[in-house]
Amino acid sequence: MAPLLKVENLRIELATRAGVAPVIDNLNLELAHGESISFVGESGCGKSMTALAIMGLLPEGIGRVASGSIQFDGEELTTASPRRLRQIRGNEISMIFQEPMTSLNPVYTVGEQIAEVLRAHQGLGQKAAWAQAIELLDAVQIPNPKSRVEAYPFQMSGGQRQRVMIAIALACTPKILIADEPTTALDVTVQAQIFDLLRDLRAQTGTSIIMITHDMGAVAEMSERMIVMYAGRKAEEGPVDQVITHARHPYTSGLISCVPHIMANLTEERHDLTEVPGIVPGLSEFGQDLCLFAPRCPRASDKCLSARPPDVPFGSARSSACWHAEDL
Amino acid sequence: MTDLLDVHNLTVRFGVRRKGGMFARQTYLTAVDDISFTVRKGETLAIVGESGSGKTTAALAIARLVSGVTSGKVELEGRDILPLDRDDLKDMRQKVQVIFQDPYSSLNPRKRAEDIVREPLDSLTDKSDPEKREIVDQLFKAVGLRPEQKRLFPHQFSGGQRQRIGIARALSTQPEVIICDEPVSALDVAVQAQILNLLRRLQAEYGLTYLFISHDLGVVQHMCDSVAVMYMGKIVEHADRMSLFNKPLHPYTEALLSAVPSVDPRLRENARRILIPGDPPDPLNLPKGCRFASRCPVAAPECRESAPSLDAVTPSHRVACHLVEGETSPLATLSAS
Ligand SMILES: Nc1ncnc2c1ncn2[C@@H]1O[C@H](COP(=O)(O)OP(=O)(O)OP(=O)(O)O)[C@@H](O)[C@H]1O
Ligand SMILES: Nc1ncnc2c1ncn2[C@@H]1O[C@H](COP(=O)(O)OP(=O)(O)O)[C@@H](O)[C@H]1O
Ligand code: SF4
Ligand code: SF4
Ligand SMILES: [Mg+2]
Ligand SMILES: [Mg+2]
Repeated sequence: MAPLLKVENLRIELATRAGVAPVIDNLNLELAHGESISFVGESGCGKSMTALAIMGLLPEGIGRVASGSIQFDGEELTTASPRRLRQIRGNEISMIFQEPMTSLNPVYTVGEQIAEVLRAHQGLGQKAAWAQAIELLDAVQIPNPKSRVEAYPFQMSGGQRQRVMIAIALACTPKILIADEPTTALDVTVQAQIFDLLRDLRAQTGTSIIMITHDMGAVAEMSERMIVMYAGRKAEEGPVDQVITHARHPYTSGLISCVPHIMANLTEERHDLTEVPGIVPGLSEFGQDLCLFAPRCPRASDKCLSARPPDVPFGSARSSACWHAEDL
Repeated sequence: MTDLLDVHNLTVRFGVRRKGGMFARQTYLTAVDDISFTVRKGETLAIVGESGSGKTTAALAIARLVSGVTSGKVELEGRDILPLDRDDLKDMRQKVQVIFQDPYSSLNPRKRAEDIVREPLDSLTDKSDPEKREIVDQLFKAVGLRPEQKRLFPHQFSGGQRQRIGIARALSTQPEVIICDEPVSALDVAVQAQILNLLRRLQAEYGLTYLFISHDLGVVQHMCDSVAVMYMGKIVEHADRMSLFNKPLHPYTEALLSAVPSVDPRLRENARRILIPGDPPDPLNLPKGCRFASRCPVAAPECRESAPSLDAVTPSHRVACHLVEGETSPLATLSAS
């Protein structure tokens, strides 16, 4: 089957005070029907920008698609009209964000906000929309949905607000749900509830999910495949378990080994954490014809500074953009 | 090793106004409720628990930095610091310093890095100017900042570097105890590793004692010598590192540990995820029995009748749960039957 989403040679430029820079630099990716993938990487690597580009929500006057294509279900999005993009956002691709409080309107009840989406995008009448809002609150496991539908966002906990956001995102049974760090602001126990909910909904509705996260554990729990991003480029791609057990890019290895992962049978032994020195470069350094990870990379050689490494395939499902990927 | 910090029956209450019917009435929110623990010199006690469980309030009360009504005793090297005033308080503030979560808002944007670092020396000590300069130079080196960065302002540093400034500031008075309140939560994983390694190196070098608050249990496991788990103002479990992670006893601790997403596929398969439904109770309207009863998968009728006390099951492991028998967790009992 053709992929549901196909991003080819995508280049997104941002115009900043320092000049124009490619915040997304020749990105290729695919998402299959019903599949869940994760974008991983430190902040500033372009994960959210990729999501916003797919949604047609690049910051106005600052960001633009410079070249490449985004095909959704066979339809080209980079040239679609604003009206068509709005339709797609309402009905086919939805997004949830990190801080649910800022995305909800504080002066309307959650019921009004869900019903509004249903009226606008599914053309439901007042009564039908309200009834369905209650059903959606029930689907995202808000207790007593009949009375909670009248609650204002501030009367809910952080976890409940994120459930409401998910309810709104699901109101139109989207084909793709993009979740940008959906649980970063939440406690682990609540995160576990939200992950469970997303997994159940995916199993029931067949929605494809794009998870954006910096937590490898979350990637492993939520997705089959992952894309590691660094400085606007794809560093590595592949099935989650394969990439975690044998990373083919030094950045991926660094991301995995610098984190103190919780261990099942803890021993007294403790080592220093592996450090990835330095930080992600600023936008003005993106786009150079070299490996942008080189200043932080333990394996960097002269070659790494001479040209940008191409995506080297490993089998049909994996690739790594590293000059020394074969040796890793 | 001796106990450096000895906390007895610490309680912190905040006056709040609660709307009820026509009139708002004054009431109290008990953010920290009768907690007791000790920390040995040179060790790290981690405090974990959900948002609002009272971690920050407890830690700030120990640093005498909280505005609420505080009762109990906080003994630092055998001396109760809660009744201290003026000069004695200055002395105590030199010994207890704090590193905050947000390296962006916790540094004064109009001050140069060197002035931020020396600020506690100015306000708490009577060292001479050359002495202070000397200390600041050493601190910059100790936390991995370059000498020429002394003259820069906070916005000219990255998040990780700002946290290094915060650490240098906390170290300036040669404290005994440093309270680290989510010191790496705002940082990216790679920078987090740099800062965690730095904190451990400094601890070994200077014999520092840490109170380490974090919601990341992997980070806690890496950093701690013992862990106190808080739920709604109470310590529900307190144990040495090995016991807490290998033999957790309280149902809430078990739920917390099982909720951590794991990169290890074998761990994921074996994990019996314990989902605790719903939200914690209203802190202004706590139940009379166990505070966890409304979400506890094994709650029994007695749990709603009386609050469990924090009892020792071994010399280094205390737990507050009616259903813990010997060293067996109630959830293990449940899944065995
Ligand atoms: N100054 C204050 N006035 C009134 N209530 C307060 C005040 N500070 C804290 N509280 C309340 O005390 C309780 C404990 O708060 P605290 O900040 O200690 O929690 P925490 O465990 O540090 O949470 P987090 O993980 O979100 O930082 C909460 O119910 C909080 O709303
Ligand atoms: N509205 C904007 N204006 C200018 N630069 C931006 C804007 N949004 C993001 N950026 C920059 O684009 C880069 C990638 O950002 P982002 O996609 O948000 O990364 P991530 O989601 O991976 O953290 C960063 O350098 C960021 O500072
Ligand atoms: S191309 Fe070179 S610098 Fe870049 S990741 Fe590979 S080894 Fe490191
Ligand atoms: S006392 Fe009862 S309700 Fe509380 S944790 Fe133990 S079993 Fe659960
Ligand atoms: Mg982002
Ligand atoms: Mg706190």
